Amino acid sequence: MTMTATLRAGAFLLCGLVGGFTAMAEAKACELDRSVKIAGLDYDSAAFHAAVARTIVEKGFGCKVERVPGVVAPLVNGLARGDVDVIMEIWLANPVEAWSRAEAAGKVIPLGTTFPDANEGWYVPRYLVEGADARAKDLKSVTDLKRYKDLFVDRQEPGKGRFYNCVAGWVCEGINTKKLAAYGLAEAFSNVRGGSGEALVAAIEASLKRKQPVLFYYWSPTWLVGAYDLVKLEEPAFDPAIWAELKASEKPARATAYPTSRVVIGANLAFTQSAPQLTGFFRNYGLTSAMTSQMLAAARAAGISPEEQALRFLKDRPADWRGWVTPEIAAKVQAGL
Amino acid sequence: MTGGLALLPDLGKPLQGGVNRLVDALVVGFGDKLDAVSDGLTAPVRLLEGVLGHLPPEAGIAMVGLAAWLATRKIAFAAGMGALVLVLALLGVWPAAMQSLALIVVAVLLIVLLGLPLGVAAARMPRFSRALTPLYDLMQTVPSFVYLIPVAMILGLGRAPALVATLIYALPPFARLTELGLREVDGRAVEAARALGLNTRQALWLIELPLARPAILQGLNQAIMMALAMVVVASMIGAKGLGETVLLGLQRADPGLGFVGGLGIVLLAVLLDRLAQAIFRARAPSRRRGVP
Repeated sequence: MTMTATLRAGAFLLCGLVGGFTAMAEAKACELDRSVKIAGLDYDSAAFHAAVARTIVEKGFGCKVERVPGVVAPLVNGLARGDVDVIMEIWLANPVEAWSRAEAAGKVIPLGTTFPDANEGWYVPRYLVEGADARAKDLKSVTDLKRYKDLFVDRQEPGKGRFYNCVAGWVCEGINTKKLAAYGLAEAFSNVRGGSGEALVAAIEASLKRKQPVLFYYWSPTWLVGAYDLVKLEEPAFDPAIWAELKASEKPARATAYPTSRVVIGANLAFTQSAPQLTGFFRNYGLTSAMTSQMLAAARAAGISPEEQALRFLKDRPADWRGWVTPEIAAKVQAGL
Repeated sequence: MTGGLALLPDLGKPLQGGVNRLVDALVVGFGDKLDAVSDGLTAPVRLLEGVLGHLPPEAGIAMVGLAAWLATRKIAFAAGMGALVLVLALLGVWPAAMQSLALIVVAVLLIVLLGLPLGVAAARMPRFSRALTPLYDLMQTVPSFVYLIPVAMILGLGRAPALVATLIYALPPFARLTELGLREVDGRAVEAARALGLNTRQALWLIELPLARPAILQGLNQAIMMALAMVVVASMIGAKGLGETVLLGLQRADPGLGFVGGLGIVLLAVLLDRLAQAIFRARAPSRRRGVP
């Protein structure tokens, strides 16, 4: 009696255990028998998107995720070789050479659009151009700047206005310097190039906090664009021919607006074939530059990392991402948060 | 960061927030006054830049050669110094070198103006010295990137924050070596001078400082070297000059450009140091002759 009872209990327990394991196996059914390798690009918008994708892949699809840290060129080479499965940001307006080569060779393909509207330009704060006590109501476009050089006075170079360029040595710095000349502003404005992006943005933010006039180049998505109410000055509409001339020539006569860049998710082709469900998710993935900027600004204001902000995004804004996956997977992600 | 030590509160976050609020309050509340400070620091550098900017390389070579000859009366030394300037001009970094030179000259002058009284006071007052030591330690060890951003927020980009960053880094060795030199002056020499009727100030200028000269010159050498070492860091907060050349080499992954800029900095360092040492050493014997 006791013997059979024990046996029965044991069998029952065993069944329960096995059943439990199968249930768990179902919950964690990942298409791959290895971890998904997501590129860990070293700047904050990419870190945010990588963390959003990672959380959904882990909680929703039950896959393990490995982050491969690095900078863009070696990571794209790794993507072509299969060392990396997914990169969250490939900037199509100016793709790294490794991407163009790997795409031509059929080793990588673009999936979803991380954000379609990454952009660059010359900014002024909105309090300067709009409102009752705005000091430059007529400042709309870069061609108006000449009249306002005294407003943006450079205390280091009296008599000139101050233009905060991009970081010295970056491509954008060269383009802006040529634009200053092409727009006829080289004499009226001093071309201030910080040696580090952090120092530049610190100086710009100090002016914004003091509600002072400030004119600067910036790009989005970035926390600065998300945190402050800025106005982008109008430039002649983007023209590919003028743009090419602007990049190639030392002293271009004309200039044009920066192109808006579509930023897509790059994936290894073999990965997409072996993981169709994950590929479907990455195809559907998509936010905007403005939303990304807003998230980065929120992270900065709260003093948390882009990765922690990604969790807050998933928790607080389900409407923005539930459409990327099936309702069952979305429910799993939400349950796992 | 948030380890298992739940007993210990995490003070890092509040400290981080506190520092940020302090910098914000400074920037927003005292912005206009800080602008005036920034202008005051910038003015002498601008002035010197204006003068040096108009100096053709040929005139620079002649002036340095002449100064070196007057200081030592040695043709070889004068020719060597002149050759250093020539190489600087041949490197094609003359305007940048003059911008760096202006910044460094003003920085070193400020260091001497501040460091000499600090060193004298510390040598006289051991308590003051003990209070300064941790401050100097802090100034020398805290990584420059820690204060670079707040300084840039408070003073804006340009020469003023570069000057402040250089001062923070290069002042302590000069002040310390001045203090050390004065401490090691033989007390009997000072006593003898006082017995001969010199007052404290005269004894300082005529006996103590000349006797401490080797240590003070060592301090000057350190100040010049460290000021030059800060040139690249200064360029990160908008100071123009050779540091910017090095930084461009770094950002564009152009080792050649970085090398040219770096070589320019080294040449400038050797030139400034040897010339300053020669000039101040040369004055030593004549003074000593005056005080038997």
